[in-house]
Amino acid sequence: MNNVMAWCCAFGPVQRARVVSLLGLMCVVSASLLATGCGQTPAATFRLNLVESSKQQLTPSQEQQVATILAALFGTPDEPRVPPEINLDVAKLKLAAGPVRSDIVGRKNGLYREHCAHCHGVTGDGMGPTAAFLNPYPRDYRPGVFKFKSTERADKPTHSDLVMVLRKGLAGSSMPSFALLSDAKIDALAEYVKYLSVRGQVELSLMRAYFELDDEDEGVLPQSREFLFEEIIDPVTEMWAAADDAIIDVPDMPADLDMVASIAKGKELFYGNKANCVKCHGVSGLGDGQANDYDDWNKVVLQAQKTVDGGVKQAEKASTWDMSAEERDEHRTELAWLDRFETVLDGNALRPRMIRPRNLRQGVYRGGMRPLDLYYRIHAGINGAPMPAAKGTVPPEDIWHIVNYIKSLPYDFNGTLGVDRPMVARDRM
Amino acid sequence: MLTRCYEIMFVLFAVTLCLGCGQKRVVGPAPDMAAALDLRETLEKETGAEGKVEEKALGTGWASLKGKFTFAGSPGAPKALVIDKDTAVCSKDGMQLFEQSLIVDEASKGLANVVVFLRKSSRVKNESATEKLVMDQRNCEFLTPVFAARVGQAVDVKNSDPIGHNTNISGSSFNQLIPSGDSTVFTPSRETGLPVSVTCNIHPWMKAYAVFRKDGYVAVSSGDGTFEIPDLPAGEPLEFQVWHERATGRSGALDLDQPELKWNSKGRFKITLKENEVRDLGTLEIPADAISG
Repeated sequence: MNNVMAWCCAFGPVQRARVVSLLGLMCVVSASLLATGCGQTPAATFRLNLVESSKQQLTPSQEQQVATILAALFGTPDEPRVPPEINLDVAKLKLAAGPVRSDIVGRKNGLYREHCAHCHGVTGDGMGPTAAFLNPYPRDYRPGVFKFKSTERADKPTHSDLVMVLRKGLAGSSMPSFALLSDAKIDALAEYVKYLSVRGQVELSLMRAYFELDDEDEGVLPQSREFLFEEIIDPVTEMWAAADDAIIDVPDMPADLDMVASIAKGKELFYGNKANCVKCHGVSGLGDGQANDYDDWNKVVLQAQKTVDGGVKQAEKASTWDMSAEERDEHRTELAWLDRFETVLDGNALRPRMIRPRNLRQGVYRGGMRPLDLYYRIHAGINGAPMPAAKGTVPPEDIWHIVNYIKSLPYDFNGTLGVDRPMVARDRM
Repeated sequence: MLTRCYEIMFVLFAVTLCLGCGQKRVVGPAPDMAAALDLRETLEKETGAEGKVEEKALGTGWASLKGKFTFAGSPGAPKALVIDKDTAVCSKDGMQLFEQSLIVDEASKGLANVVVFLRKSSRVKNESATEKLVMDQRNCEFLTPVFAARVGQAVDVKNSDPIGHNTNISGSSFNQLIPSGDSTVFTPSRETGLPVSVTCNIHPWMKAYAVFRKDGYVAVSSGDGTFEIPDLPAGEPLEFQVWHERATGRSGALDLDQPELKWNSKGRFKITLKENEVRDLGTLEIPADAISG
């Protein structure tokens, strides 16, 4: 900064006047740039899942068909709708959707864009403006996979699971608690998350359906009710409808449980070959075991990158000299596809980031700190993450022992319980 | 005072230029709103019963299809896997694990683990599969690099190692701990299109593929490259999909130059079988450039 001043003062009065006028010009240019911005703000639109459409090598007209079918079924971010067959409450969706505004009685609308869209994106793709700066990345709802829930691994979360995440937030991540919002608002937001998720799943199914077309379909999806509902929508909505019946049945922790013995048993399981927690959470429990893995959302981008890199390598090897005209055309199409795919991964996806097994010494648990929450995580694993389910191979009483051991890990447990319980390891450090 | 003002302007100018108008982002095509409204109206009017496609002519009886895949190129030495965990088991007595992505029989040139399945079936001979399958892992390796099962068929996912594994079948949300010497039952509930990957998160080098089909009309070529699918519906056009982990076609589709089978770049061929026929496709040679190096 001082250099600039010194540089200015080093000139005579005439030159100084020139420098000043130059600076004045810069000022006008930057002011006008700032004032006009980069064009008008358009109406909010849903973004297509271009990573998937590129992976499936869809043509622009196929991409447009997907966009059109989705608009017909789900409307726009300002005007959401669902066919009556999809069990979502449109009144709640309307409260959550659209720009932030108040209606005639002063009730706030546009809750999703007020509270969620800056991280999760208008489309729910987990790519809002702030997403790239957060670790972990905000959830992408479109595959319909949620981590913290009370249902079996493969099942969808219940409505109250989503409400719980909104109310409590996810400790240790950027997801805050929205407990200050009224129940009705949280309810509307949970409904809207389901809407974005169902919409995203339908989009994925539509894009994948092109590969299954027969030759005589000529690359156009049928738009009949039979195809759209029976093949695409019903499988998605059935899974959401089944969530309430898939809640994990948790037996009570025995009331007369000897806690010291239970923690010792849990420790044995933690390090043993049966539960094998140690492999990822580490010998120390600091989450420093198997730590070079990715979750399912990041894996999609990682694999796409591999496809592009492999394709480019293959294309570079090919010699265009001994190609027929037809082969050369194919080669050119391939190169154009790879080029666009690369741009899509640059601008429309977040750079893949490794997932870390939880550090169990901190006592911070994303999905809740109740013993019940830990039981759910161990029983069903964490969907979308490498954490496997212990269900079936580890009996319920053993899962409770592991829960008790994990709850003891943040403390320097010395084998005695009671008033002299030592301080939290984090404070000690 | 004035200089200070200019300084700020200068910095502002530089910052504005540097930031520009944001990242380069591909914008997909916008929906055709008029067409969307039309479609919405049609969907609301249709009740679902109308607009059914006319039934295709069905044949009678059953037939088999078999063949053999050979690889024309040189497979090269398989890539050694880096084992950095549980070495007492996974590389005991100096054992070295190799990638299983391209297994070619030296004598017959037969290519193993090519998947062939019927895309759509109008009818099935056996309503369900009764046989229980076993998917085992030993010495930190899946014993079946490509595993095929029928939807609803019980698969015993087993661990014959003295250490624990987990088995993660992508797309199915199945990711289960398998303690040493133990097993757990997995029943595929949904059909896969092309095969999906199976991994162990504890030992990241472990990799396999699985394919699940509703009708069970699927075969994986064996060590000598041969495959056979019995009890196929005869007397009607059938379309098969062919896949190999390292095939250069899209998502592993195996593209062969077989015009009489109308083999296309999506790795599909068409055939109609006669009743009680056992059709042998003979040797299907895969050129070196159809498999990625």
